[in-house]
Amino acid sequence: MAPFYELGRFGDGMSLVVAVLLGIAFGWFLERGGMGNARKLAGQFYFTDLSVLKLMFSAILTAMLGLFWLTWAGLLDLSRIYVPETFLAPQIVGGLVFGVGFATGGLCPGTSCVAAATGRKDGWALIAGMLVGVFVFGEAFPAISVFADSTARGAWTLPQALGLSYGVVVGIIVAAALGVFAGAEWLERHAERPAQPTDVTV
Amino acid sequence: MTAREIRSPRVERGLAIAAVIAGALAAVAGTPTRPARGTVNVTELARVVEQEEDHVTAVELATWIRDGKAGLRVLDIRSDSEFVEFHVPGAARVPLAEIARMPLDSAATYVLYSEGGTHAAQAWFLLRARGVERVYFLRGGLYEWLEQVMNPRVTANAPQAERDSIRALTLWFGGKMEIVDTPSVLDGKLALPHSVGTREAIRKVRRRAC
Amino acid sequence: MSTIAAGNALGATTAEIRVRARREAAPYTSPYLAGVGIGIVLLLSFVLMGRGLGASGAFSSVVTATVQAAAPGHAAGNAFYARYLVDGAAGPLGDWLVFEVLGVLIGGLTSGLLAGRLRWTTERGPAITDRRRLVNAFAGGAAMGIGAKLARGCTSGLGLTGGATLSVGSWLFVVAAFAGAYAVAPLLRKAWQ
Repeated sequence: MAPFYELGRFGDGMSLVVAVLLGIAFGWFLERGGMGNARKLAGQFYFTDLSVLKLMFSAILTAMLGLFWLTWAGLLDLSRIYVPETFLAPQIVGGLVFGVGFATGGLCPGTSCVAAATGRKDGWALIAGMLVGVFVFGEAFPAISVFADSTARGAWTLPQALGLSYGVVVGIIVAAALGVFAGAEWLERHAERPAQPTDVTV
Repeated sequence: MTAREIRSPRVERGLAIAAVIAGALAAVAGTPTRPARGTVNVTELARVVEQEEDHVTAVELATWIRDGKAGLRVLDIRSDSEFVEFHVPGAARVPLAEIARMPLDSAATYVLYSEGGTHAAQAWFLLRARGVERVYFLRGGLYEWLEQVMNPRVTANAPQAERDSIRALTLWFGGKMEIVDTPSVLDGKLALPHSVGTREAIRKVRRRAC
Repeated sequence: MSTIAAGNALGATTAEIRVRARREAAPYTSPYLAGVGIGIVLLLSFVLMGRGLGASGAFSSVVTATVQAAAPGHAAGNAFYARYLVDGAAGPLGDWLVFEVLGVLIGGLTSGLLAGRLRWTTERGPAITDRRRLVNAFAGGAAMGIGAKLARGCTSGLGLTGGATLSVGSWLFVVAAFAGAYAVAPLLRKAWQ
């Protein structure tokens, strides 16, 4: 029965090995999808290259369906899976700020590592910026801690919030994601493309 | 500069179809966790409780443990940290949620305890609802165990045989019997002194432990 | 490697060191397939560890460890840094993410190497200079550092992990992040196109 670490199948040392292996696979696929290239990533925000959307939601869909069906099959204990906690105001505000940084930097924390690993100086610059940003936040934290800890809702899930069953929410998200994918394909074909060669093999 | 992108339309389409099917079936299934249902014979349960067949005393449990009663499963319904601090020898820690779905041993005799007895009583009910018949709980909880097994107080004028049997039982578990003038245990029923809480009792016991 | 296409000549103001690659840069994999791959990795993480992937937490650990080394009492006394300390040392949660991010570096490097996509260069739009791009990257990173810590996660920790576990706050974060990005994108057109 999964999750194996939570159920004591292996110890802390092994879990770090698992961390590295999972990270390697994660980084591998991110680079395969071109997420280590800030220009490709930024295309998301000009509707020329919606790979970010496609990749993210393909991943979410896969894992979400996997969680559902593994639990249904009795192979996974869903109650032991860590659900990121909800802090309404900080996450909305933090999201907005993060988004501004995302468009400016062209990479996110995970993809900046891929960019840096493949030799992109902007990846390194972004990593440096993030470390500074975290530091600034840490220093400012005592002053904003009330806000940062506000509107907590715990491990609140969409099924709970919407009053729908887990499976129905999963079905809705699948339908919505596929709709978004179809829309993305259409948009990419019809968006005004800037005059530059993007289909070049270097 | 960005390189080209290979697209695999057939594989992608296949994945999309798989997603649609998996998502639609999920919506139909509703919940991924299959609920475990239990049925309760209320009349029968009421009778069991009234005739006090739902619980055992700490001394009875201690005797069962010492005599190696076959199929005995002692379950501790408390938190991890409380369990680590002190637990009945041979007990396993099982939170209430687990009680609801753990695999059952049909040959087992379950004895449940918690700190005061409330949670154990609730767990007892859950197991009865799941169809287990040989299940009991410690009505006074861990506190009763500490009071009657680990640190029992026996009056000076109690019969010698009784004192000997209690002392032997206590020693077997590494506890200590005390002879007192005023009785604190009357007729097997637990009298709760006001000043001693379970934590204090635990502290007393652990100070003596090696 | 083939010569740089004319359209990029405008941006080639600094000499670029070319890493010896096995072959010409291979085309990227379909984002859907790469995404499914990541989804499987994410699912594996849930199955093996009971938790999902992340990234920003590793940065917090690094900063906390640095602050602690520079001013030991300061980190312990700060409620934010303290989260990443256990008994005055880097905590296990932080460690796990640090190791995972190390893996991301290795995985990204390996994939890039095998695909011939390693380049010691700066990715930017043709209309800005390298320096401008690096300043933007640093600034963007700083904003993301703040935003991610306020939201307690980033696109990996909240977007992927929270997304898959249907966490309300995570979905809100993703919507807000895209909103913030699209809001400022028009202002940054020159930087990218």
